[in-house]
Amino acid sequence: MQDDLIIKTTNLTKSYGPHVALNKLNLSVPKGATGLLGPNGAGKSTFLKTILGLIQTTEGEGTVLGLNIRTQGDEIRSRIGYMPEYDCLNPDMEAIHQVRYSGELLGMNPTIALARAHETLQYVGLGEQRYRNIGSYSTGMKQATKLACALIHDPELIIADEPSNGLDISARNYMIETLTHTVKTGNRSVLMASHLMDDVERVCENFILLHKGKLAAQGRIEDLKAFDREIEIHVWGGASRLEEAMIARGMGVRREGRVMRILHEQEDTTSMILQCAADVGAQIRRMHEYEASLEDLFLSIMENLGYEVKTSEDLLSSPAQARKVDAPGYMGGGSA
Amino acid sequence: MAAAITPQPVEYAAETPVTGKVRLEAAWGSTEGDEDFTTTASSAPKPDGQVFKPQYKQWNGQLNPRWMRNWAILRHHLLGIFKKGHRPWGMPIRLYLLVVFIASLTDVGLTLVSALIGDSGLHSIWGVSRDNLYGHVLGFFPRNMLYYPVIAALLVGGVISEDRQHGTSALYFSRPITRFDYVGMKFLSVALIQGLIILVSLSLYYFAEIAAMGRGWAWIIDTLPMFLATVFSAVLLIFTYTSIGLSLSSVSKGKFFPGIALLSIILGTKILAFIVSNLFDREILYLISPYDCLAHVGQAIIGTQPTYDQYSWTWSLASLVAMNALALYVLTTRVSSMEVTRE
Repeated sequence: MQDDLIIKTTNLTKSYGPHVALNKLNLSVPKGATGLLGPNGAGKSTFLKTILGLIQTTEGEGTVLGLNIRTQGDEIRSRIGYMPEYDCLNPDMEAIHQVRYSGELLGMNPTIALARAHETLQYVGLGEQRYRNIGSYSTGMKQATKLACALIHDPELIIADEPSNGLDISARNYMIETLTHTVKTGNRSVLMASHLMDDVERVCENFILLHKGKLAAQGRIEDLKAFDREIEIHVWGGASRLEEAMIARGMGVRREGRVMRILHEQEDTTSMILQCAADVGAQIRRMHEYEASLEDLFLSIMENLGYEVKTSEDLLSSPAQARKVDAPGYMGGGSA
Repeated sequence: MAAAITPQPVEYAAETPVTGKVRLEAAWGSTEGDEDFTTTASSAPKPDGQVFKPQYKQWNGQLNPRWMRNWAILRHHLLGIFKKGHRPWGMPIRLYLLVVFIASLTDVGLTLVSALIGDSGLHSIWGVSRDNLYGHVLGFFPRNMLYYPVIAALLVGGVISEDRQHGTSALYFSRPITRFDYVGMKFLSVALIQGLIILVSLSLYYFAEIAAMGRGWAWIIDTLPMFLATVFSAVLLIFTYTSIGLSLSSVSKGKFFPGIALLSIILGTKILAFIVSNLFDREILYLISPYDCLAHVGQAIIGTQPTYDQYSWTWSLASLVAMNALALYVLTTRVSSMEVTRE
């Protein structure tokens, strides 16, 4: 089990003066794809810098691919591919040479780096566009070039910081498919920081949720989703009576208008719902097992922590404004 | 999935229009002896624009050590002057470098001309001498007014500031590149490009004198110390211009500010000191001018007639050391604060 871990931290703490950015973080990230989630200021960037070996920790220990983050930063950075969130490409260079140069910066021989740049650009879907100046690229093509830069030396771990940031639907799908493909057929590991829960859900099997520098949740996405299985029903006539009847029978009910979600705790939950409906004379027009998306779970966890969080739709429609995750007033934020 | 298709007869009459279909069927005899027609349907239509499935290819090569990474940075900046695929220096910069290089060879050309026509008067003006060696590197007009500071300004303009502007610093620091290697190689790149012009033209000047005038060992042994002193002065000049320029580049996000600020510092302080010297007969302000300090130290070590005579050249040397120390301090502080996750 220990060999399967790509990142392990023990009481990892990083303080900037009085501000504690990471607070006694105990993480075990297995091989495969892992999503790094958390609102702004949760400590994601600090965590990434720490595991890249770029900043010294205040306290605690950590290993990445079995290498110590305190003393083996150079080796760690040789064995991982980092795809930054923000622009990191020279707009006056052709993509092929930018990717080749990023390989040379890792110590690759120029000839080999060039050959490998052709392969990786082909892989990320820029094969025919590789001799164009990056300045003429769309956002999606720039993101793909950044991914090619990260993949050029075939790293064991790829750290992708908001890989689908600012992409349209088709470019976003392509990026997600490429990352998924890298994990599944390339047998590489991915640590993906993203605000878009759908993307994390599509690529990753595991997740880490940070909150104010602390670990809020960690585990397999499937396990988390299986935790609170619900049955969703659409009711016509007598919804309030049905709700009361089900609550009276001790069932967990969440209601929004005519749509109700009932906790699926027992084998006979379905028949109990039908029985209640028959008793109160309510019509159930639709009934199905409701599987919460990662986004629902994220919202639920963050709401429990007292945050007002935006949804993926908001994030996609107005990224600049919507990516702001407001802390409640008593935690120093602007909203209640 | 196969389905039978009944063959349709095709007639070939004189009035039949010549169409692609008829030509094709005539060419391949598609309806003759081919009654057992079948059609096949593709199993799954490909999505638009996707003609192949991406295939992840693994790479099992070895990464080279630190010196190779540093060489990559140096090579990227140096080769960018000459060819595509490396750091994209702008065409105006490349043209200006060429013009300055050719202009710096004026004394080489005139030395050759004086040797060719055997004019000793011309040779005494342009041939290798203590004053001319000094003038080649530290002469104010045109070399330290139009050539070398402008080259330094053009070169340092974007070297670090563009990494901040485009975020390319993340590309360096997310790889096993230390801040020292990063700034060291950038410094060396800019200094080497200036060296290619100043030191190569200086060497050509010296060797042109030897070749054209048929100088022997005695002359070489005689003049080599002052030639080496000039080389040292040139190195000092390149180092100073580069450190001030790069420190300005490291505090900026564009190439205009570092360039114009470097020129302002070099030429502005010189002009200010000159005005003060003329109005008040006080030369002390030359100590804040990088060019004047370089010239003063250069005069002392090459051995020409000093033009700054109100104070010792060691003051100028101390001032140069202080200027470089301050510039390097700013440079290292700013580079060490460059971010990987966000700039």
